[in-house]
Amino acid sequence: MEEAKKSTKKPKAPKQDLLAKVFHWINIISLLIMASSGLRIYNANPVFGGRAGQDFPDFLLLGEGLADGRVWHFAAMWIYAINLLIYGLYIFITKRWKNRFAASNDLKALQASANAKRKIFAGHKIVYTVIIPILLLAIVSGVVMYKPAQLHWIASLFGSWQVLRTVHFLTIPIVLGFTFVHSFLALKFGGIRLVKSMFV
Amino acid sequence: MGLILPKQTLSRRKLLQWSSLVGGSFLLNGCSSSWGVSQINQWTEPLNQSIQQLIVSQRSVPEFAANQIEPNSLLINSFNGAPDIDLKTYRLTISGEVNNPIQLSLGEIQALPMTSMIIRHVCVEGWAAIVQWGGIRLTDLIKLAQPKDDVRYVYFKSADGYYESWDLAASLHPQTLLAYQKNGEPLPQDNGAPIRLASPIKLGYKQSKWVTEVILTKQLMTEQGYWEDRGYEWFAGL
Repeated sequence: MEEAKKSTKKPKAPKQDLLAKVFHWINIISLLIMASSGLRIYNANPVFGGRAGQDFPDFLLLGEGLADGRVWHFAAMWIYAINLLIYGLYIFITKRWKNRFAASNDLKALQASANAKRKIFAGHKIVYTVIIPILLLAIVSGVVMYKPAQLHWIASLFGSWQVLRTVHFLTIPIVLGFTFVHSFLALKFGGIRLVKSMFV
Repeated sequence: MGLILPKQTLSRRKLLQWSSLVGGSFLLNGCSSSWGVSQINQWTEPLNQSIQQLIVSQRSVPEFAANQIEPNSLLINSFNGAPDIDLKTYRLTISGEVNNPIQLSLGEIQALPMTSMIIRHVCVEGWAAIVQWGGIRLTDLIKLAQPKDDVRYVYFKSADGYYESWDLAASLHPQTLLAYQKNGEPLPQDNGAPIRLASPIKLGYKQSKWVTEVILTKQLMTEQGYWEDRGYEWFAGL
């Protein structure tokens, strides 16, 4: 009730669908578990350099050893994947993808628009549209390494095992970089109120 | 000693807890204590296992070409080094819930039909290698021993004390071999000579080296495998 009173006084706060907020929360938490347990698995045999490769420091890692890391990783994968699936269904059923995600007019706006705010909005839409296939790639490359015999036809698309491992690993720095850019652009476009609206 | 030791372990544990607080990762490390993991595992391992059993089939996994073999990628792992085995007195026994327990010398094993396959060997540590394995099909050996109807599991004991257990379906898979050949050469000692398990459908730690006994059972015992008893997944299917 108090919230409602406040918002009538101030300029209107951006409103977000409950599902968009729930998606953001679950996505961040499950990705933190996936990344920290994933780096624990990484340390068992570093993607770069193998047994002689550089380890990640313990404070970044979840689980006390490889077995723990795998338990966390293969538990959180369900939460991460199901959350992404529900979100995908939601943006298609509500036709959210039509106006909230990037289209060709955003590319044009980015190149030619005189309106600075429109430019940021267009750029931001492109950024968070492009991350969707990256989030899906994390699942595909991971599941293929989890079941390479049953999913050999997808495994062969990646070429070698080292490519598969590298692609799966690279989704961490890409998502991390995205999180910074996404937050920065949201702040620039709509201030802290816009960022907050996606969570509370 | 008995009085001092527990105290030392406690203080070390405290120290670790404090260091993780300082590291600012107390939230994550708090979850990593074993209670969290075993609780989560109780929920997810049966789920993950049933999905794995659902997608696994008795059909052969497609193989690789000879020029795709990666001889340098296959790393050596063992929990206690390679045991010395006298090849003249070596016997492989198949026993347990069978009507016809058998014992085979190396000569007798090599007289059985050989199967060769080029598959990807995947280690739980994350590395993999394309390897050629040659040997006899485990399913042929199990048939010779005539298992009883209600056999469900197969245990493997090794000369170095390593032990493993498999589900029967995976043991009967046409590409589950008792191998004595690697990349066209006699199996080296470090890779499990004279006889080791090789299969494209299980993680490396399921593929026991230096196998001496195959035991068919109706039930899974408390001891499921060297690494399984240390927190690793039992099914470990690929």
